[in-house]
Amino acid sequence: MTPSPSDPSRASVTLSKGLAIGYQSILATVTEDIPLKNGTHYLLARNGRGKTTLLKTLAGLLRQRSGQYTTHGHCQFIGDEFYFDRELKSKAIFKALIPEPHREGALQLAEQLELDIDKEFGKLSFGNRKKVGLVIAEFRILKDHSNLVFYDEPFTGLDSPAREAITDQWLSTSDHTLRIVSCHPDFDSMAMPSALLISDGEIFRGSDGNLTWADFKKRLS
Amino acid sequence: MTSLFRLTIATMLARKMWAVVLLASILTPIIFPLLTPYETNTALLEPARAQTAWTCTWIVAILWTLSQAARFGESNSNSGMGSYFRSQGVGALRQIFALWGAVMLSLLPVVLISVAVCLIFAMPADPKEASMWVWTNLQFATLLLLAIGPLALLGVGASSRFGALIGYVVPTGLCLYGLYGVTYLGMTIRLRDDNKILEWLYALSPQYHLADLTPRLIFKMGHLPWPEFSGFLLYFLAITVVASSLATLLFRTDPLGN
Repeated sequence: MTPSPSDPSRASVTLSKGLAIGYQSILATVTEDIPLKNGTHYLLARNGRGKTTLLKTLAGLLRQRSGQYTTHGHCQFIGDEFYFDRELKSKAIFKALIPEPHREGALQLAEQLELDIDKEFGKLSFGNRKKVGLVIAEFRILKDHSNLVFYDEPFTGLDSPAREAITDQWLSTSDHTLRIVSCHPDFDSMAMPSALLISDGEIFRGSDGNLTWADFKKRLS
Repeated sequence: MTSLFRLTIATMLARKMWAVVLLASILTPIIFPLLTPYETNTALLEPARAQTAWTCTWIVAILWTLSQAARFGESNSNSGMGSYFRSQGVGALRQIFALWGAVMLSLLPVVLISVAVCLIFAMPADPKEASMWVWTNLQFATLLLLAIGPLALLGVGASSRFGALIGYVVPTGLCLYGLYGVTYLGMTIRLRDDNKILEWLYALSPQYHLADLTPRLIFKMGHLPWPEFSGFLLYFLAITVVASSLATLLFRTDPLGN
């Protein structure tokens, strides 16, 4: 099914069976058709299995080794290394990158995340630097369009309250945004209603439903 | 493109070096000539101001503009910003020109200050000379921007691939060679008859000294004749085409070579 471009609620990603990702050689291959729709989908795998490669491929930054995939929506890829000039304050970064109508919301989220927007980027802690990227991505989402946001390990360095604030923010825009979030959860009870797994060179979908990290981690090798 | 352009401008403003650069551009041509024994011949004060103003602009362009270009090219590639904007559909070409546009925009006030200093603090009293003075300064501003612009673009492109050091050293080396080295090469060729290799090297060398009209200002030689100026414009536009092509070929948005 190809969503209509005029339908803002239909962000979608479809990984077709046989899609292979990698650089010089194939890292992993999709073993079944995986259609994804609005909402948050976690991408789980051990180090070096192809999480970043898959996200970059879907974002159009890397060419797939073989096979097909389709995406529909305004795309953003926020890599695990996403940083700004040391002397730039978060407030100035938001002003440069976030459209004026969305800026107030961004400042509110920053306050909720306890991000000091008057502090130079270089003086922020690792976790707080991550928050800057998250706030930018969330408030560069286009309101009247379908959106795709690919996050590469956005939770690294974030404390629990910040994670909760971010996941709440995701819920509030999930009606027109599809997110694929790679992460290494550090607590078993982290809810994962939808997850993609990469293990043994295969990309497949974990079951949908009320599952947690504990249910998935034993399936990764 | 506008987001990356705005971010680059915001970064330059945050670094605060622009304040030092602007202050130096304004004060140097006014103060430095006063430190010389100008009382012996006060008529030399005004040409000295013009010389200082434009020398300062060349120094700013080489030390600041080209280094900014190199820093932004490298950081766009390494910081994840290049990938981020490319994932949003902002291609490599739009990115390199966004970075370059912001860097060149920061040089523009310095050039305008030089023109203003020459027109306000060094304007000849004679109306005919004054008219020539205005045109010479405008020609100088145009040629300087045309000389530095492609070098800055090359700096952005080269640094995104090879790092800020290469991205700075290569355009700066080319600029200094074109300003000074080529003149010495020309003298060498005149002393050694029939050296085809040196003649070819001279012909292929960038003649950036053509963009330096300081002697015309110091000795009040008047502006370049328009046919000659048009020829210089075409020459620098041709260099622009070559440098732009090379810069865009070199430019990459992430460290993995995309």
